[in-house]
Amino acid sequence: MKLLTLLTGLTLVVSTSANAHKLIEPGLREGVAGGVFSVSVPTTMNRLQQKEGKFQEIWTVDGDGLNKIIFFGGVPDGEALLRQRDKKNNPLPRFNSKMLLAEIPAYLETSYRSYYGSPKVNIGEMSPVQFLNQKGIRFDYKYMSVEDEVVRSGMGYATVKEQKLYMIIFEAPEIFFYGRDIGVFEKIASSLRLL
Amino acid sequence: MMALSKALLRVAAVTCLASPSLGADTYTLPPYSPAYEPRTLDERGLWMEADVHEKRLAGSPMRIRDDHLSQYVRDVLCRTVGSDRCGGVRVYIVDIPAFNATMMPNGAMSVWSGLLLRVRSEAELGAVLGHEFAHFELRHSLLGFQNRRSNSDLAAWIQVLGAIAQRDVSDTQLSIVGSVYRFNREQEKQADLLGLKYLKSSPYPSRSASEVWQHLMEEADATAAGRMIRKKHQYSAGFFDTHPTELNRADYLLEEALKFNDPGEAGAKEHYKAVEKYLPRFLSSQIRLNDFGGTEYIVSGIAGHTGWTGALLQARADMYVSRGNVRDLITATTLYLNAIDSGYQRPEIYRGLGLGLIKLGRNDDGRKYLKLYLENVPDAQDKKMIQLYIDDAGGE
Repeated sequence: MKLLTLLTGLTLVVSTSANAHKLIEPGLREGVAGGVFSVSVPTTMNRLQQKEGKFQEIWTVDGDGLNKIIFFGGVPDGEALLRQRDKKNNPLPRFNSKMLLAEIPAYLETSYRSYYGSPKVNIGEMSPVQFLNQKGIRFDYKYMSVEDEVVRSGMGYATVKEQKLYMIIFEAPEIFFYGRDIGVFEKIASSLRLL
Repeated sequence: MMALSKALLRVAAVTCLASPSLGADTYTLPPYSPAYEPRTLDERGLWMEADVHEKRLAGSPMRIRDDHLSQYVRDVLCRTVGSDRCGGVRVYIVDIPAFNATMMPNGAMSVWSGLLLRVRSEAELGAVLGHEFAHFELRHSLLGFQNRRSNSDLAAWIQVLGAIAQRDVSDTQLSIVGSVYRFNREQEKQADLLGLKYLKSSPYPSRSASEVWQHLMEEADATAAGRMIRKKHQYSAGFFDTHPTELNRADYLLEEALKFNDPGEAGAKEHYKAVEKYLPRFLSSQIRLNDFGGTEYIVSGIAGHTGWTGALLQARADMYVSRGNVRDLITATTLYLNAIDSGYQRPEIYRGLGLGLIKLGRNDDGRKYLKLYLENVPDAQDKKMIQLYIDDAGGE
């Protein structure tokens, strides 16, 4: 009797696929972030079911607290990077297509401060790069999450095309994980194409 | 709004010592014996937990480890509550751009950078620090903990008895929950009033306590105006409010201060001198909060005391750049130029000015300032990016 209840419980837990993440096999993958990108995936990853905004897609290997890659597929002029949780009392800054590339890291920082309440985001190096076959910016940053007080390092590539922001960022704890997984991110970012 | 448990942890203040009677005499402070050790089981448990929290706080990356700033805050605390009281308190300054200070049951106090940015004098800072210390002296953590424990015990028993008697007890449960929050608000009011008594015995004017809340209400109005929403200030607190409302506090604090009738030196100049080194950093964090109206209010408030210094002009310009409307760029450009003219020639101003001019289509002028930026900071982290604009301005 006990075994039956246990098994029923287990199957109930396992079979609900409504909130399951999706496995991403290595190889070419199209239609990432709302059908916008195609990318060459070097290793098995997971796509998180949860999103923080409608232009976003989040991938991880070990869990989003340990390593995550976030795709932003064309944030239009006047829209916020992430979902506006409280437009009146805590509005997120909106993307302005007239922003210079050099201002995009600060835009990300302000969005993070509003959305996550991170008290501090330190923008590091910024350099011009080719991204999605046009002029883009590569930047890195560090911030501390208030929930777990872990310092995370991040790197991003971004460009603006036809008044939309296209960006890919990678975040992982500064200790160990960032250094270990940055290579995978660089491979993914360099293979990123617009569909 | 914060969750209840977080909020209640926040107002954790250690239990007081001998005298619980607050209302006995309106003017004299109760006696205080230093080097207090926790006595009861509950109290020792609370202190033990607080010691763990303090260790985390002491090692936190959010902490500002500046001796001068910490010493300044300690000095204001000591002048407010007296040296026999302030001796055992440890002050930690935390780099969070919001108005808050907390006190732990074991005497560890944290002060957030947003508080240091918003108070306009030593007296206002002392009012807030005194309030927190009052929680400590009155044993509010312990009493609050015991109150929550007995109320949750009561609620649990009523649930059981209600089930036995087959009656709906949700109304009773609700009023028990209400009483916990009301107890919390009562504690806050007691801390406010004891804090006021500290101010009376200090060289600071006790009216500054009310001014703290007045400024916060005005800032809230400015924020609301900037976001084009309506902000109403209420007198009575809501059911789940952990503190009395700002309006209520400003009112009873002013009323009591008028009875005390104690003029004094608020020490506005001294405060701004003490935080001068950190003002650009605090302002830059504040600007990143995407609150144009509130930030404008804060910056103008500081300018009212110090005049429009170069740092404030730069902050104001950064604010307009952050909002980013087309006409804002013109305002920002003017403000940056005013800052430079006032003798405040920082590399960040050259950078902001240069990028702004390029956005406005004034490429030659923009390039000139970006070159100045790179001359001043030859190893800037965004050197390659800025060089691109110098070489190729407008070609995006």
